[in-house]
Amino acid sequence: MIRRCRPLLGTFVEIAAPPGCAATVEAGFAAVAQVHRLMSFHGEDSDLARLRRAPAGTPVVLAPETMAVLRLALALHRESAGLFDVAIGARLVRTGFLPLPAGVELAACTGTSADLELRDDRRAVCHRPMLLDLGGIAKGFAVDRALAAMRAAGADGGLVNAGGDMRAFGEHAFPVDIRGARGHVERRWSLRDQALASSDNAASRRRRWGRTVTPHIGFGRPLKNRRVVAVVAPDCATADALTKIAMADPPLAARMLRERGGFVLGPAASEAHAA
Amino acid sequence: MNRSVAWRLALGVTTAIFGSSSGHAVTYMTAAEARAALVPDAQSFVDRSATLSADQRTAIRRASGTSARGPKVSVWEARGSGGRLLGWVYVDQVLGKHEYITYAVAFDARGAVTGIEILDYRETYGDEIRNPRWRAQFRGKALGAELKLDRDIRNISGATLSCRHVTDGVKRLLATHATLFGRA
Repeated sequence: MIRRCRPLLGTFVEIAAPPGCAATVEAGFAAVAQVHRLMSFHGEDSDLARLRRAPAGTPVVLAPETMAVLRLALALHRESAGLFDVAIGARLVRTGFLPLPAGVELAACTGTSADLELRDDRRAVCHRPMLLDLGGIAKGFAVDRALAAMRAAGADGGLVNAGGDMRAFGEHAFPVDIRGARGHVERRWSLRDQALASSDNAASRRRRWGRTVTPHIGFGRPLKNRRVVAVVAPDCATADALTKIAMADPPLAARMLRERGGFVLGPAASEAHAA
Repeated sequence: MNRSVAWRLALGVTTAIFGSSSGHAVTYMTAAEARAALVPDAQSFVDRSATLSADQRTAIRRASGTSARGPKVSVWEARGSGGRLLGWVYVDQVLGKHEYITYAVAFDARGAVTGIEILDYRETYGDEIRNPRWRAQFRGKALGAELKLDRDIRNISGATLSCRHVTDGVKRLLATHATLFGRA
């Protein structure tokens, strides 16, 4: 296997491919870089920046990739009864997880995913001001795009790993160590033609008004213990997003994953339901 | 040539991984492979490695907001057909979570970044950080061994590592480049 690693999406993206497939690795990184450009919260020329600059109610033409992520995000928002919400940006700025973008009036950003409309296959409308952040889904989506690009370039197998959100294709089984917050290996998994994502919030908690907060859980919900949450799914965007739901509401995540051909990875040797 | 780079080259590094422990180390490319990959049109690379003066280091720190590990800079000039200057490739290290990450950055002839490759990456956790015997594994003794099959390489999920230090390192190299070659 050829293995390459580049700093993208705020983390390290690693691509592995069989020998002789170097060009497909390039195609994979190009796809990840494209998602990075389009969906960065920080970039001022990303699709997200254009959406937040547009006045409420104005349709904004977005890249097909961004439309695809938003479509999935809205479906997950509906199915999780609002738990998974990419309009989480304002809350993340308030709690110090994200910087306030220039020119944004935070108090006005009251919209949720329910106020986001995909008008057709190229335009989105925010009916109320909101700050979208795709940090809970874009890494997984980028992995899926990279994989598709590698396939299109002729690779018959490989692995794309974006900071722990990964997907394998082809016959090869890739061994995966799933790390807990203290860095110990909590689980091992053999990844073959499927995606795996994991999340733990031990390193991303902040105190606010005397309470501990963490992304995608918000107030009024117990914080999970130190255990890492790992999800296996057919595609990586689903796996990535469902780790957030699994952290807040494990039974709901299990139900949603069942319909999508995935599952929450439990403690070792308990995957009787693993397909 | 920077000593640590020479060390890496001398190893003819392939890939080493220590599957039984929870430590993780991957060598993706050697410096020579990175140069060729980052400037594929280059016919030759001229070693322009330098040692920065204290004043230069201060200027770089002021311009970029970050300090280098040491005064040595590993940089190669990429030359195309007819000796035309195509750009430069820097090899540098920044601190990852606990261990250093080696990476390469290419600048074009105008000094704009054209590519970044991670050369090697390792991480240690918990007790391993304080365990000299465990750390000694990384000093290359195992690296001369034959290439391990990919099935032995463990892929890591969990505790997403930020690439912030690499991004800061690239900023520092931009300032370094301006200091050494007068453009940025």
